[in-house]
Amino acid sequence: MLKRLGFLGCVLTTLAAGISVAHAHGEKALEPFIRMRTIQWYDVSWSNPTVEVNDAVTVTGRFHVAEDWPIGVPKPEAAYLNISVPGPVMIRTERYLNGQPWTNSVALRPGADYDFKVVLKARVPGRYHIHPFFNLKDAGPVMGPGRWIEIGGDAAAFSNPVKTLGGEVIDMESYGLATGVMWHGLWLLVGLAWLLWWISRPLFFPRYKMLEAGREAELVTPLDRRIAKVILVAVPVVVLGANAMAQNAYPNTIPLQAALDHIDPLEPVVNTGAVQVKILRAEYRVPGRSMAMTAQIFNGTGHPIRIGEFATAGLRFINAVAVVPSQDETDHLTAAAGLHLDNDAPIQPGERRTVMISATDAIWETEKLDGLIRDADSRLGGLLFFYDDAGQRYITSSSVAVIPRFD
Amino acid sequence: MTTNPAELAAQPYSGEKARLSRHFDYLILVLAFFLYIGSFHLNVALTVGDWDFWLDWKDRQWWPLITPLMMITFPAAVQSLLWERFRLPMGATLCMCCLLIGSWITRVFAYHYWNYFPINMVLPATMLPSALVLDVILMLTNSMTFTAIFGSAAFALLFYPSNWPMFGMFHVPVEYGGAQLTIADLFGFQYIRAGMPEYLRIIERGTLRTYGQYATPLASFFSALLCTLMYTLWWHLGKWFATVRYLKKI
Repeated sequence: MLKRLGFLGCVLTTLAAGISVAHAHGEKALEPFIRMRTIQWYDVSWSNPTVEVNDAVTVTGRFHVAEDWPIGVPKPEAAYLNISVPGPVMIRTERYLNGQPWTNSVALRPGADYDFKVVLKARVPGRYHIHPFFNLKDAGPVMGPGRWIEIGGDAAAFSNPVKTLGGEVIDMESYGLATGVMWHGLWLLVGLAWLLWWISRPLFFPRYKMLEAGREAELVTPLDRRIAKVILVAVPVVVLGANAMAQNAYPNTIPLQAALDHIDPLEPVVNTGAVQVKILRAEYRVPGRSMAMTAQIFNGTGHPIRIGEFATAGLRFINAVAVVPSQDETDHLTAAAGLHLDNDAPIQPGERRTVMISATDAIWETEKLDGLIRDADSRLGGLLFFYDDAGQRYITSSSVAVIPRFD
Repeated sequence: MTTNPAELAAQPYSGEKARLSRHFDYLILVLAFFLYIGSFHLNVALTVGDWDFWLDWKDRQWWPLITPLMMITFPAAVQSLLWERFRLPMGATLCMCCLLIGSWITRVFAYHYWNYFPINMVLPATMLPSALVLDVILMLTNSMTFTAIFGSAAFALLFYPSNWPMFGMFHVPVEYGGAQLTIADLFGFQYIRAGMPEYLRIIERGTLRTYGQYATPLASFFSALLCTLMYTLWWHLGKWFATVRYLKKI
């Protein structure tokens, strides 16, 4: 017995030691080619990582909709910018796309550029990992970069007042709850009373035997019939009366709104033509966790430029040699010195140069992007960021088939 | 000791037999209670699903069409058993009470305490008034055909007016982001559901609006028509699957 208990204890201890809190949102589950060649996120930032209940957190950022949209993924005719949170621990109070507020879904245009802003309001205390992400109709969620947000304070202090068109200010947290509970309670009482009326008398064996014996008339009494007739009249009368009262109380109601929002893209930000990139070949070196790209680059700007960053699927590979604008590079999705070139000299105005670019880091593997070589559509997509001496940024979006190297 | 006259009329047993039979009643009632909470609740969650879960799915077309159609299933089958074998006119009410209790348990514990949604955002619809009427029509007519035609129609037609006193207030308009929304839409926008983007809602789609803005009555009458067929189908399903072969041996 003691041995068995000891064994059970060992098993439970081992299981308990293996328990950990899940922090991910399935962002690695989506196939790499979809994460790389649909929504290409950049410049995502949060206003404040530590807030109290009722405080606002603003998420801003930009994204480019890839030109080389995978053929296996339906075009983004309905897309919804969402926030990945464990339930509404924060509520979304405002959302903008290219400066335009929107509440429903929107059609995105491949090759176009957008910026976004989402204002959240802290509701439930705790520490949460939060991502902006796009739900793409018939394709799934494409995650943007995530961030830990710490919410302090008291959940009971949360309030969410909203003003109706009629001028009434309501609290969304409790609006209509008492009415709902009252009506549910009332009908449940009537229903239970009807059940009690029948189950208070002998039920199954006696009624079955009497029915079989032809004593059916005794099973439903005249009083039962009178009560049934009252119910038959009273229930519809109460229902229709309450319905009329509700219509009088709320005469100006509207149907649920189901429009698709229409928002025009920004003036081109990515692939403006000032810098032109053609990736001639890409090899993924499995043992080295390195993507080696041979790119032909034309500098059409009036200034010398350098490659500062390669970004794909929320991962950022930074060229430490180049000048990169200060951004938060402390998160685990950024390889702070993960981008290497065979020639770091600036590309001169008017120069066309073929450059070997290596994006190397274990995050290819930890973020499961190395699975691209086993995808049905094994094409790489991403953004290259160029900077001139004055800090001006030029962004290109490119794609190319990937060849695996196993040696 | 006083005795209920109704009980006297419907009791062929006495003494120990009556006591044992009553204990059997309680056993079956408790089992039925949990069985219908589980099975009917699961059936509704899988068929009506989001239309019943969320405020911003309760539209004028699909909600009054789908909900009665899918919620008349179990009541018809249970009515078939309880009325045909026991002359108990409470099958529909029993199912709806169980469903409602199960729904409230889920909404409070799973949606509110576990997933932080305010309860008013996930209020279930009620079909208890419809169920009561269905039960009494069966009892007064003692006819499956009559109940299928008139009871099922009443079941569907009473659905929307039964629920409007609860949900009408969520259709009050607000101005938000430069557009008009209902309060129900605003719940869907503000209270974040990572797995429920707006475009997934199956609402206000279809051609019923070609009859002007009177989509609800049309959807309700269409639902009434379908409910007569669904009721008949499930009545017979109940009849086929229910057996009293063990009762015959006692």
